[in-house]
Amino acid sequence: MTRNRLYLLFIVALLAGYTYLTWALNQQHEHSTFTPCVFKNATGIACPSCGSTRSVLLLTHGDLKSAFMLNPFGFIIATIMLAGPFWILYDVISKKNTLHGAYQKFEQALKTKWIAAILILLVVANWIWNINKGL
Amino acid sequence: MDSQKVDLYLMTNAKFFQPQHLNYIRERLLLLDESKWFMIQGIDLKDPTTILIVSIVAGSLGIDRFMIGDTGLGVAKLLTCGGLGIWALIDWFLIMDLTRQKNMEKLQQFLQ
Repeated sequence: MTRNRLYLLFIVALLAGYTYLTWALNQQHEHSTFTPCVFKNATGIACPSCGSTRSVLLLTHGDLKSAFMLNPFGFIIATIMLAGPFWILYDVISKKNTLHGAYQKFEQALKTKWIAAILILLVVANWIWNINKGL
Repeated sequence: MDSQKVDLYLMTNAKFFQPQHLNYIRERLLLLDESKWFMIQGIDLKDPTTILIVSIVAGSLGIDRFMIGDTGLGVAKLLTCGGLGIWALIDWFLIMDLTRQKNMEKLQQFLQ
């Protein structure tokens, strides 16, 4: 993927993420059972990332422990959403491509067998935990 | 390379590439050295139909993106539950062409 395409995708994803988060923050108190997850709507079973919206919402209130207990993925998403805009801004202003370089290194690392195996195990474990929690 | 071999390769592998690239592939393969034949045959090409089925079944987990080698986007898709389902839906229509593009990129390394 080229540098500009990655940054464009990143910015679109961040905008969509923040829009959704703002909407979810306003919806929070109405205790609706709405879920945008297609997997859960189709099968009735939680997917590996079900609950990450609620987890990020808890993080915005500073409730680290319950956020982790709900879904640890919330931490990854919150980190990306917080660091992403600054990283892109830094790259655009200084005309560097540190984010693109990091993205490519990350992709290469994921193609290493043992790293991929560990991450897959973690995701599956989180999935089982999710189902047990009945998210 | 022998034109018979090239035609055989194209006949068996045409479905892995975009139609507009087939002529280019044929021309480049004809110019290629005979010794690269085995390497060309050894390339791990992904079947667009298989990937489409994977995308329909497990698209919201990002497995389709992982399989075609877009690991970064695969992780993004997994973390967001297929982009809240919207991205997963869009990918049902994009993934076959993307697979063909990725196959072309793999072959391109040997054609230069």
